[in-house]
Amino acid sequence: MNANATLLAAAEVASSAPSPGYVAIDQVRKIYNAGTRHQVEAVAPTSFSVKAGEFVSLLGPSGCGKSTLLMMIAGLEAPTQGSISVAGRAMTSPRAETGIMFQDPTLLPWKSALDNVLFPFRAMNRPVEPEIVERASTLLDHVGLQGFHGHKPRQLSGGMRQRVAICRALVYEPDLLLMDEPFSALDAITRDEMNLVLMKMWEEHHRTAVFVTHSIREAVFLSDRVLVMSRRPGRIIEDVRIPFSRPRGLEIGETIEFNEICGHLRSKIEHRPH
Amino acid sequence: MVSTAEAPPAIATADTPILERLRPLMLPTAFAAGVLLAWQAVVFVFDYPKVILPAPSDIFAALTGNFAEIWQHTVPTIRDTLAGFVLAALFGVGFASLLSFSKLLRDAIYPLIVVIQLVPKIAWTPLFIVWVGIGWQSHLTIATFIGFFPIFIAMMAGLESTDRSLVRLCQGLTATPGRAFWLVRLPASMPYLFAGLKIAITLAVIGVIVAEFISASEGLGFLILKSAALLQTDVIFAAITVLCVLGLVFYGAVHAGEIAVRKWRGE
Ligand SMILES: Nc1ncnc2c1ncn2[C@@H]1O[C@H](COP(=O)(O)OP(=O)(O)O)[C@@H](O)[C@H]1O
Ligand SMILES: [Mg+2]
Repeated sequence: MNANATLLAAAEVASSAPSPGYVAIDQVRKIYNAGTRHQVEAVAPTSFSVKAGEFVSLLGPSGCGKSTLLMMIAGLEAPTQGSISVAGRAMTSPRAETGIMFQDPTLLPWKSALDNVLFPFRAMNRPVEPEIVERASTLLDHVGLQGFHGHKPRQLSGGMRQRVAICRALVYEPDLLLMDEPFSALDAITRDEMNLVLMKMWEEHHRTAVFVTHSIREAVFLSDRVLVMSRRPGRIIEDVRIPFSRPRGLEIGETIEFNEICGHLRSKIEHRPH
Repeated sequence: MVSTAEAPPAIATADTPILERLRPLMLPTAFAAGVLLAWQAVVFVFDYPKVILPAPSDIFAALTGNFAEIWQHTVPTIRDTLAGFVLAALFGVGFASLLSFSKLLRDAIYPLIVVIQLVPKIAWTPLFIVWVGIGWQSHLTIATFIGFFPIFIAMMAGLESTDRSLVRLCQGLTATPGRAFWLVRLPASMPYLFAGLKIAITLAVIGVIVAEFISASEGLGFLILKSAALLQTDVIFAAITVLCVLGLVFYGAVHAGEIAVRKWRGE
């Protein structure tokens, strides 16, 4: 990450252009099944950038193109128009330095929690050194899974599975973390817990993060910036900076300022611009 | 925090009474014993000639009396069935895996195999005898041929059923298609594969017996045909009894393999 940040700084100096951001989305548009009867414009031409180390949420009603946008940043979908660059390089295919969390934990059912956390190394065909196993174990302990390292996914609750998925996304120390509504299948209490776990992990590791959600409070609680998307075809209609200092606790949710921000965001979402 | 494992499913556990646990085994055994007894009684009461309907006791006597000869014919049947089954598994899994890597190949070949598999495959037996000869080669070939289809089709279904999000995860992690296959798609298709293997092992026995009916100088199929010509009905029944046991053992072995794999998968 430091090396990348240096590279980025060097690139900035070289081009002397305004900072492109760690993730730079430039007039990106996505049309599924273009030219057929089933053509769907999921993302309208959109530009924004995310700075290194920043936690940004994409907030919008379901079906507005949030996942599509995130999958394009992940390199798992190609934009129909426009370009995306991450760490100064144009995205054409998935990069090994990005960690992804999906809505479902997507664990291998036949592997233990620890082996699931180690899965990225096997997938990338990298050696699993003892210190890697050590790191994976430490991560599992940090998210509260002491004593569950050997359990198979079906022996874990939904929240525990998603904790394993967090560890899996962090274990290879990605510089960018992409999360697609990772907690939306969980009940409200577990969800608060998971937000705290994620917050703690993020404050420790400080990756650049893009977090997709349709929960206003979750977005405000976690983020440095919240980007509000319009209904489909999605585009960014509001960019709100969240001023709370870190580390944050759940109690900031009771403050007037927090609720004012939520109210403002809600009005933006409910006001249909077209 | 969060609760641990869910309650175990309601199957027999250690504290179920022993009688209750043996029930699924005891009931059919008792019923079979009843049928054999009734059979014995009917033959005795109506005094059927042994050539038409031998009593269970006659069959048992034929089995023990001719054991050396029956065993001599059992060995080639086992050999050809197992060899054919193993080849069918290798071809079926290999071919399905190959097609799963190329959409072009898959779209070109898969529908054809599905159509061919609708044809009764046993009808091809004489053709294989013409092609590869009258000996064990043709028996093994027909067992392979007949066992290939269920394995191939089950394996294709398994590979295609792999959770798309897992495949996506692999792509996101920049795994090569080969690694994604080895780490995710192959293990994910195991339950399907075993369903195919169970059908295939049963069909392989049928294939070998039919091939032995048509042309052979050894094997249980040959023994059955020869005994029919000599009107040794009790020997036919003895050979069929051996086939029943073989079928059970083969199926049981595949089933044991399936349980081992399930255990490994943590189910
Ligand atoms: N692979 C696809 N093919 C066609 N349409 C798609 C595909 N994926 C998503 N869409 C459509 O694009 C729109 C945006 O989807 P998505 O990005 O999943 O929205 P969100 O994540 O905000 O709920 C939806 O209308 C959806 O039906
Ligand atoms: Mg979505």
